[in-house]
Amino acid sequence: MTSLDGPDALEPMIRLAGVTLKLRSAAGEVNVLRGVDLQVAAGEAVGLVGPSGAGKSTLMMIAAGLETPTEGSVRVAGRDLTGLDEDALARFRRDNVGIVFQAFRLVPTMSALENVAIPLELAGRRDAFEAAEAALGRVGLAARVGHYPDQLSGGEQQRVAIARAFVASPRLLLADEPTGNLDGRTGESIIDLLFGLARDQGTTLLLITHDTVLAGRCDRVLHIADGRIVGHDSRMAAE
Amino acid sequence: MPPALSLPLRLARRELRTGFKGFRIFLACLALGVAAIAAVGSVSSAMMAGLEGDARRLLGGDVDLRLTHQEASDEQRAYLAASGTLSEVVAMRAMARRVDGEARSLVELKAVDGAYPLIGSVELNPAIDLEAALTERDGVFGTVVESALALRLDLSVGDRLLLGDATLELRAILEREPDRVVNFANFGPRLLVAEAALPATGLVQLGSLIRYHYRVVLAPGTDREAWIEGLSERFPDAGWRSRSLENAAPGFETFIDRTTLFLSLVGLTSLLVGGVGVAMAVKAYLDGKTTTIATLKCLGAPSALIFRTYLLVVLILAAAGTVLGLLVGAMAPMAAGALVGPMLPFDLPVRVYPLPLLVAAAYGLLTALAFSLWALGRAGQVKAAALFRAVVAPTAGRPSTVFIVATAVAVALLATLAVTTAPDRGFAGWFVAGAGAAFALFMAAGWLIMTAARLSGRPRDPELRIALANLHRPGAPTPGVVLALGLGLTVLVAVALIQANLSRQVTERIPEQAPAFFFIDIQPDQEQRFRELVTSVPEVTEVLTTPMVRGRIAAVKGVDAENVTVAPDSAWALRGDRGLTYSATPPTGSEITAGEWWPADYAGPPLVSFDERIARDLGLGIGDSVTLNVLGRPITATVANLRRIDWSTMSMNFTFVFAPGTLEAAPHSIIATVRIADPAAEALVQRRVTDALPNVTAIRVKDAVEAADRILRAVSTAVRATAAITLVAGTLVLAGAVAAGHARRVRDAVIMKVLGATRGRILKTYALEYGILGLATAGVAALVGTAAAFAVVTRVMRADFALAPEVVAAVAVVATAVTLTFGFVGTWRALGQRPGPLLRNE
Repeated sequence: MTSLDGPDALEPMIRLAGVTLKLRSAAGEVNVLRGVDLQVAAGEAVGLVGPSGAGKSTLMMIAAGLETPTEGSVRVAGRDLTGLDEDALARFRRDNVGIVFQAFRLVPTMSALENVAIPLELAGRRDAFEAAEAALGRVGLAARVGHYPDQLSGGEQQRVAIARAFVASPRLLLADEPTGNLDGRTGESIIDLLFGLARDQGTTLLLITHDTVLAGRCDRVLHIADGRIVGHDSRMAAE
Repeated sequence: MPPALSLPLRLARRELRTGFKGFRIFLACLALGVAAIAAVGSVSSAMMAGLEGDARRLLGGDVDLRLTHQEASDEQRAYLAASGTLSEVVAMRAMARRVDGEARSLVELKAVDGAYPLIGSVELNPAIDLEAALTERDGVFGTVVESALALRLDLSVGDRLLLGDATLELRAILEREPDRVVNFANFGPRLLVAEAALPATGLVQLGSLIRYHYRVVLAPGTDREAWIEGLSERFPDAGWRSRSLENAAPGFETFIDRTTLFLSLVGLTSLLVGGVGVAMAVKAYLDGKTTTIATLKCLGAPSALIFRTYLLVVLILAAAGTVLGLLVGAMAPMAAGALVGPMLPFDLPVRVYPLPLLVAAAYGLLTALAFSLWALGRAGQVKAAALFRAVVAPTAGRPSTVFIVATAVAVALLATLAVTTAPDRGFAGWFVAGAGAAFALFMAAGWLIMTAARLSGRPRDPELRIALANLHRPGAPTPGVVLALGLGLTVLVAVALIQANLSRQVTERIPEQAPAFFFIDIQPDQEQRFRELVTSVPEVTEVLTTPMVRGRIAAVKGVDAENVTVAPDSAWALRGDRGLTYSATPPTGSEITAGEWWPADYAGPPLVSFDERIARDLGLGIGDSVTLNVLGRPITATVANLRRIDWSTMSMNFTFVFAPGTLEAAPHSIIATVRIADPAAEALVQRRVTDALPNVTAIRVKDAVEAADRILRAVSTAVRATAAITLVAGTLVLAGAVAAGHARRVRDAVIMKVLGATRGRILKTYALEYGILGLATAGVAALVGTAAAFAVVTRVMRADFALAPEVVAAVAVVATAVTLTFGFVGTWRALGQRPGPLLRNE
């Protein structure tokens, strides 16, 4: 078992204790995560790096309530996620978590404005569209509110996705290779946007990345291999 | 709008922004089935409305009272005349001949009084007054005839002809009778004379099969129902069959009901087949929405919202398809009016009939639900976590129990709708059960074909190997195509085989077994002379005679006939009069199945032998009593035995046969059957008998068979055209399956091209795939269709079944051609795709 304490003494935003995930496949049982302990403080930006198949995405899914561990406890934003059913987890994500994907994952039949408004509509907010328009303005797409995903460039689509992830002021934002499908320059602007919005809203960031620039912007970088956290780098320690 | 619907509706509208592209097959399948059901219901309603609207004219008054063999008494006539305006019509079959005797024909004779017609008017050519056309001039009465008779006897207006012993002058061609309803039992053309002309014909003899109609237009303000009741009380033993406006044309109404039932069920079959197309389209659509659904779930959408959203999408599309079908169906009365209007005896009211459209709409929406809920339930199971995987794959397996139950409920509601809206609920119930069994059978057949393809090993021919693999690969459309196309082909095979067997029965078996002639209205004192005339022709091999009198069932086990509950199939036995006879020995062609036949010298209380089916449907058993009204006299007899009658032998047989000692004294006629070895001698037999005995009517079986065959052909053409709708629905599903697989086919074709396959080899692969699919489906359809036809022919029609291999072969060819055509078209489009754009995206 490995463990790491976060720098903050207040309730951590993410607390995983002894988290293990075993999946059954045709070839037998696969240990995807092996007794992971993790704490991420509120407002912290943590990067996850490691080889393909190390368990980075699975760790992120557990933190988002998208996967249930075989053993261990998961506490996010002050809530114990183990034992919640699928709809309760969906509501939890609606109210607390934003997610940004490598492949953007915008709904193709909705405009940029509608894509951003969805989380607020799901929450029953009457000002969903006004808030969505403001969110698009914050990512520099005020002029593209009526455009559909196939009318936007890759960078613009990712901006829309970021606007959607931040529009409900989530306490936790998860990003899975957010710059993976973007060229270097565009990727940099996306990174700036991501960290800027997180700072403004006090959002905790958990990122998966192979991008060293992005990893360098994080407060901590955790190295994951073979289902375990095998090392960490701290920006404060580096500085 | 309820909050629970406003967000799903907003999301659903966004999902439909791409329009209905990708749902063309969904819409077409639903619209076709709904249109078929709406069209059948609308035309049926129009026919009934037309019948009701013209009921008075078709009936010839407010009430029609019919007596057989005997006229109404003076007292009865006076009563009827005092109730309003009375008209008397006499109807019978007779023989009309050219004066030179060179040609003769069976005719449907109608003798009318001066008041005829009470409602409407007769149309003649030339357009002269009916009274003038029929009146006596220079000692000769006039007649008007249908053009078919004029043609048959080669007569023109002004020529003379013989009817019985009388000479008549043809004064006009009868274009239209106001009270003529389509009657499939009419073998001869109409010949109309004045009632006063009848005596001279010598046709009115004791016991002759003559029907006396008394039509009354009641005085204004008369309560018709009360009047009819009063009439029954005034003349309880009159023995007449009364018809009023509610049953002006019961035979035609029954025909409409039966046709509506059959066509509605065919329409429902098309809708069910189309439902398979709906299911495939919804599945393909939701599979394509997997990423969107996973994204929405990531953003916090609960499963219930996902379900409501896409349910609304399906319902909006279903509404569009249903409306399209309703629009087409609502126009059907207009088309029917143009096609068959001139042939109908009434005007067809062309308007929109809301009730059948409502029923068709219910069918459409329920079908869409029943065939969509499964896929909708599965879509809700898409995991949000799927977004983190490289390929977001659709969910497989069953939906949750709630959706399985919901699907079952929708199917049950559909079945309930089918049964409750059918004119014959029992038949509809059997159909629903049969449809369910057929579905299960074809789903099993699809699985079997896939299994057979999987187990066929690895053929050396690469095109064949790939073709077989495509049949059973995950996501192959094989089950849906086999089900939909197979059902359509099965209906076509079954209908074609039933029609072929019916036609064979009518044109081959019956002529083989049937006598050459039925002679009716032979007077008892003419029987000897008749035998001499017939046997004077050497080719005659058999002459059988039997007495006949008409009577109607007045009571069953002491209960009045109008209050007896009877199965629909035997309701005819209580309507109108039936032929009765008496016999010391059991008639040939029947088998005693219960009770005992009476001794040949029986002379006790009245006993009667019944057809076993009628007896069962009337609830009659051995020892029960039945009262028949014969010429106004009630005769109560005890059921002594039951017979199973083989009507297909065409030997003389009667539903009711009395024991000796009851009917001999009643005025009756003799009917006879004559078998002739050489058909060339038929004309001679007919001439000798009808020249010497002009009151005797000859019914040539061959003419009857030809008339029946003509009707059968017309009906079977219409039936096959309707059954073809089911095949069209199956073809639409096939087209949908081909379209849904297009992307895969393009990808596969590009990869094969990259690997060095020529276009010809790629085409061969898909030709093999679709050819095998078509042949296998045809094989199953041929088996199932043949089995269904066998059951109908042997159990319902009670005839021998003969397989028609050419029918089965034609179906196999059609099936293979259809699948090959669609496969070819789909493949040709795929081959046209340039590899570059696809490979760059990969």
